[in-house]
Amino acid sequence: MTARGLGEFEQLVLLAIAHLQKDAYGIPIVEEIERRTGRSVARAAVYITLRRLEEKGFVSSWMSEPIAERGGKGRRYAKLEAEGVKALRDARRAAERMWRGLDPASLRVK
Amino acid sequence: MTAALTPPRFARALLRVAVPSESRDAVEGDLHELYVGRRQHSPRVATSIWYWLEVLSLTMRFAPDRFMRVMRSLATGDALPSRLDLRLGVRMLAKSPGLALVGGFGMAVGVALSAGAYALFNSYFFPDIPLPEGDRIVAVGKFDALRRVENEQLLYDFTVWRRELKQVQDLGAFRTVTRNLAADAGVGESIIIAEMTASGFRVARVGPLLGRTLLDEDERFGASHVIVIGHDVWQARFGGDPSVIGREIHIGRAPHTIVGVMPQGFAFPVSHQYWIPLRIDPRTPIVPGMGPNLDVFGRLAPDASKASAQAELQMIASRLTAEGPKELAHLDSRIVDYTDVFINAEAEKESTMYAFLRFLIAFLLVVVAMNVAVLVYARTVTRSEEIAVRTALGATRGRIVTQLFAEAFVLSGLAAVAGLGMVAVGLNMLDQFMRDAGDAPFWIDSGLSLGTVLYALLLAVLGAVIVGIVPAMRATGSQLRFAMGSLGSGAKAKLGATWTTLIVAQVGITVAILPPAMLKGGQTVRMALQPQGFAQGEYLSANFFVARESQVNASESDARAAADSARVTITTLLARLANESGVVGATITSSAPWTGGRDPVEVEGVDAPALSTRTQWVDTSYFGLFDVRVLAGRRFAPNDGALSMADRPVIVNPSFVTEVLGGGDAIGRRVRYRAYGDETMPWHTIIGVVEEFPAGVRSSGAPSTRTMYHLTVPGEWDGATLTIRLRGQRPETFAPVLRQIAMSVDPMLQLSSVRSLDAKYRDYARSGARLALFVALISGSVLLLSSAGIHALVSFTVNQRRREIGIRTALGASARRILGSVLLRAARQLALGVGIGLLTAMLLDRLAGGELMNGIGLLLVPATAAFMLLVGLVAAAGPARRGLRVQPTEALRSE
Repeated sequence: MTARGLGEFEQLVLLAIAHLQKDAYGIPIVEEIERRTGRSVARAAVYITLRRLEEKGFVSSWMSEPIAERGGKGRRYAKLEAEGVKALRDARRAAERMWRGLDPASLRVK
Repeated sequence: MTAALTPPRFARALLRVAVPSESRDAVEGDLHELYVGRRQHSPRVATSIWYWLEVLSLTMRFAPDRFMRVMRSLATGDALPSRLDLRLGVRMLAKSPGLALVGGFGMAVGVALSAGAYALFNSYFFPDIPLPEGDRIVAVGKFDALRRVENEQLLYDFTVWRRELKQVQDLGAFRTVTRNLAADAGVGESIIIAEMTASGFRVARVGPLLGRTLLDEDERFGASHVIVIGHDVWQARFGGDPSVIGREIHIGRAPHTIVGVMPQGFAFPVSHQYWIPLRIDPRTPIVPGMGPNLDVFGRLAPDASKASAQAELQMIASRLTAEGPKELAHLDSRIVDYTDVFINAEAEKESTMYAFLRFLIAFLLVVVAMNVAVLVYARTVTRSEEIAVRTALGATRGRIVTQLFAEAFVLSGLAAVAGLGMVAVGLNMLDQFMRDAGDAPFWIDSGLSLGTVLYALLLAVLGAVIVGIVPAMRATGSQLRFAMGSLGSGAKAKLGATWTTLIVAQVGITVAILPPAMLKGGQTVRMALQPQGFAQGEYLSANFFVARESQVNASESDARAAADSARVTITTLLARLANESGVVGATITSSAPWTGGRDPVEVEGVDAPALSTRTQWVDTSYFGLFDVRVLAGRRFAPNDGALSMADRPVIVNPSFVTEVLGGGDAIGRRVRYRAYGDETMPWHTIIGVVEEFPAGVRSSGAPSTRTMYHLTVPGEWDGATLTIRLRGQRPETFAPVLRQIAMSVDPMLQLSSVRSLDAKYRDYARSGARLALFVALISGSVLLLSSAGIHALVSFTVNQRRREIGIRTALGASARRILGSVLLRAARQLALGVGIGLLTAMLLDRLAGGELMNGIGLLLVPATAAFMLLVGLVAAAGPARRGLRVQPTEALRSE
């Protein structure tokens, strides 16, 4: 992973934000990844990754108004930034290039 | 209720500490939202556990990050541990799992003990009163310096203070009374009520949820009976009915009108849920030093301090002392923190048990810290070559020390988290226990506070400094030059005196402290395994109390009438029971057979210190009812009860005869309680010796079963323990019958804890077993750590001499002689430690008045010493034999 590149979990988080659009904050992001990948996700990993993605400029975030059911705390919503979209596309292209000429069904361990 | 939908407080506090500020609100909000969602379909306990697990997982993930930030903010530069250092630390731990496990476990126990003690002491001795400006609420009292107790007969003083004390506002007073609350089917339920002045609510500064609080008018003698109830009672008994105000409930003999409901959590003055006004009868004169026990409290005036209030109180006190009776002149009027009077802080802080516990915890910490340091130190020194290589490659001393600190911090940090987990579990159990008992003061908050978490973090850093930085500084100091000079030659650093001192101290401490801990554990285990010593399923036991419905300053004739009516009530109850079918007999005692009071007793004509003795008050039917055999003399007879209490004889048991009287014929000898000050205590003549009962049962804190029995006559006390022996029916089925009989005899006769005697004994034994488990856990971890520490120390020092052994072999010394000399040297160090340990143990035993070891414990000392010797010698033998296998030529070549 280069400084501009994406780790696998970062990709999952970015894609979850893309799917959720306006509803992307901690809880649904965790649920979205778990639902789509079928694996359990450490909540802390999502928060740490979100912060790292923000530091890289791939996402931006803002706090909502305080909500009573959340003990008076707001939600931190995340939004994909242009850099993030580009990074996702780059990652996808890189993966496709690597797959080119390979048949997933015919992969064997030699 | 919103309160029920709030996640556990301490988990939230931990979360706030663990999560960095920029994510904190979002994370906390998310967890709160999930918590509320889960609570809709899951029980509270399960949801709380889930929440705790989430918080702990988040804490573990954020902790390294958080710690790094703190360290970076303290200073910048490459001297601070990096993520890489921490990762390396984890790898080093994985490389030596034995060290990680033993060291980590030891440190976790150390942190748990220390942080647990910190949390308890803080919430017990320095609590925050959860009321507005709670720290300005004070108690006004009179301390009896002679007896080291609070004198609470304050009615007279209260009336004066209330009039004259200006530095304390809203001066109020309360006493706790119990009454039967009439429930359905003619069965009474005993409830605890605060009889309190209306000013109590002003002092607390908490308004009612419904209706009103008590008013000054309610205190007027003859006003109608009113009661304010607490939130929990309102919910449980009245289903949260909003129209409860104005309803009547029967308390004792009188109907009371409910005038207010207090909000949830309000339990001022201590743990109360019912409040009635404290009324003073204007017709009866109020006399200094007489009347019921009262607690007096108030709020410091806005510009007053505790010192200024004390000064004002002192002035009033001097005048009262001059006017008042001489026998009250030694009482000290004083203003103290509100909670201090309830915990009797002075006496507690001076008690030997408290001192022993503090000493034990401090000592255990020393042992734990020392052992872990030894383990890590031994390993660090073996790494001196690696350190030398890194230095040669250009690493600064700071870098290497930082690296070793980071390694240690990984260990101590994990240990701190595990230790905090143990504390949280322990405190939760304690909290539950106190809540079940229903008398936890409202200010006691034994949860995991932010302070406790920070304290544990501090311990982790401190631990990392001790086990990381200190050995690292040494390893990179003078020894480094030595190691660099001998790089590749296999030579290792020499330590000499330091190691000898460590070995001696290590063995000494273990030998000194482990036996008393094991002894205490052993005693409780024995107690838990002991059969109860009386026939099972035949006894029903209940605590009873005949309440007196009178104002606080009852006149003497009122009091006498009340006492008479109590006597009638108890004798009527006993007569009714005697006529019940299936009842063999009933007896009245001061407590359950296996407990009792403890008082120092001295013997006539013997010049020896008074011995603390278990005392019990029993009636004439007690020994017969429990089939206790008389070994000498006789039982109590009815005409003994006709004598005044001071003249009544006593009965003792065989351990009393041996330990207090020093053997011989006990009958006719005289004993008395040790006097305080210049009062004289009456002599009591021993008329009988009965067998040990219940056989072999000793309470966990008591060193002996020596017992002295006094005679009481039914009706003499308005509250005591009633035990009924049944035949042909189960205690459980007779319990409701007993309750009905009691209510029909007198509505003021309250029964509590109505259960079979074996059930009560089982609970008692179980609490002992829990204590034993705790002691075993701690002793076991100390022994494990000490053995590991000794093993590391001895094998390390012998390892240092491996080449020397090789050379001596090369020069023709016999293997046996070499092995002998190595073992002898190790044995000398170990023996010195054992000697010091023995002396310390004996000194401690003496300081504790012989109660620490109690004879048997002294047998454990040599056993522990032998074990430590064995571990040490085994540790020495391994490296010594390896040294013998070194080829002489190889040893000489490397020289």
